[in-house]
Amino acid sequence: MKAFLGPLENGRIPALQQTRVSAFLMSAHGALAGQLGVALPASLHHGWQVEMHSQYCREMEILSLLGRATSWIPDPALGFLIWQWQLAWVPRPISGVADRMQGMLIDLAAFGHALHAVIRPAALLPESYPDDDPFALAMRRVEFESGRLMQAQILFLKGPELVPVRDAVASAVERRHAQVRDLWQNMLHAMEIDTSGRHALVPAYQAAARPAEAIAAQPSVAIREP
Amino acid sequence: MPWLECNSRRIHYELAGPPHGPACVLVNGLTQYVRLWHPFRDALVAKGFQVASFDMLGQGQSDKPSLFIHQDDQVAVLGRLIERLGDRPIFVAGISFGGVIALRYAIDHGDKIAGLVPMSSFAEIPAQLLMLGNALRTGLILGGTTFLQDLLFPMNFSGEWLHSMRHLIELARHRGWLANDVYALQNLMESFLEFEPLTERLSAIRVPTMILTGEYDFLTPRPLQESLRIHIPDSALVIIQRAYHAFTLENPGLTAYLLTRFAEDVMAGRWHGKQSIWVAPENVGGELVRFPEGFDHMRAIPVRIQADEIAPRQTAAAS
Repeated sequence: MKAFLGPLENGRIPALQQTRVSAFLMSAHGALAGQLGVALPASLHHGWQVEMHSQYCREMEILSLLGRATSWIPDPALGFLIWQWQLAWVPRPISGVADRMQGMLIDLAAFGHALHAVIRPAALLPESYPDDDPFALAMRRVEFESGRLMQAQILFLKGPELVPVRDAVASAVERRHAQVRDLWQNMLHAMEIDTSGRHALVPAYQAAARPAEAIAAQPSVAIREP
Repeated sequence: MPWLECNSRRIHYELAGPPHGPACVLVNGLTQYVRLWHPFRDALVAKGFQVASFDMLGQGQSDKPSLFIHQDDQVAVLGRLIERLGDRPIFVAGISFGGVIALRYAIDHGDKIAGLVPMSSFAEIPAQLLMLGNALRTGLILGGTTFLQDLLFPMNFSGEWLHSMRHLIELARHRGWLANDVYALQNLMESFLEFEPLTERLSAIRVPTMILTGEYDFLTPRPLQESLRIHIPDSALVIIQRAYHAFTLENPGLTAYLLTRFAEDVMAGRWHGKQSIWVAPENVGGELVRFPEGFDHMRAIPVRIQADEIAPRQTAAAS
């Protein structure tokens, strides 16, 4: 198992890995954009709908960026994987909330929170990867924007309106986190990548006696035991 | 790799050193994870301590609750780890955020530990710390983990250290970014939104307590450590020269030396805190020096304590 994407081919992330990662991201962000599009009224009447519109636009930007920045190649496994992923993203009313519409909105926010919080595509890039590579820049952009996009979901899910159903909300978010994390990790494991090893890397502070290059060149191997 | 179960959550921890004799539990700061303690840990192990360190909920390899992290749960995790160490002298040392968790544990379960070492810690959140905390949280939200680290570097370390490590700062930033998830850090920071000051409860801490503070720490400055000193009966305040907030990282050898001296003094019955104030040596093996009598340890320049200030301070300490 490796901690990062690679080994590199001609100095770039292999096209199959780019295809698989971007397909996952486009499946999930596309589903979220679709759900936001359905939930968004043609004319906005509340402040939170403005935020929802902004989220919708950012998700569309992510889809456009991934579509153009990825080196796509045919991947026979994608048909089954995309079917599996799309099935997982279907909105579901959550238990413990009587108002069905509110339950659907909570699930939508929970899915968005999980997608933006759990998925860290930039953390897959090898540490010395070139900064000017379009795929790398797209991964960094998606991860960076996710940290901001998540704030709307946090405000809603932690907000005063949902205090009476806080336990149900927490369960719904935990469930979506587990689901998104499992699918993401399964996709990565199929490419021999295990991100759990990132915590076992030598902290830079402890490398004072060693040249930076030696530390940076530490093998990108997950150290976690099977 | 050892794991603890606590309230259905999985906690990653490490043990190093001999399984008998005194033990020391290290509690992380906000963006820390167990790997960062290794030099500090190794210095303690060399002195015969068994050292336990763990990732708190939301950190490193431990579970990261998606929306809410309660400090009570962090205290429960610390308690579970201390239980696992069994019946022997156990010292708890926590830095910054981890110091708060250690203080909370010592307030409620002081009988289970032999000594406490809050480092760069605090029991209340006055306006200055509140505004700094809010700014750090906003920095995290708008700029991500990397920007938070950029804000923390000059608070945590001296200019000399940052200069000497400049070739490694980019790597440190990257490794810190890899190890921390934005949502988990945000949850940890937001666990302070409902924070109730501990000040009035500090007198319940009856164990020997060594309060460590950096001479130049402006994130958790001297008044916060002073509050610990005057409310914890068997305490001593030790000022680490030229240090900023994260002296366990900048000078792990010296900090571990102070901790082992403290533990040895406590176990030998030599410790008498008496709310005294000390200046730490600059190097391992040096002697602690009493803060000069009659001068004000709260000031940055050598100002004599005014006669009318002595009585109120003594009253506060006595109460």
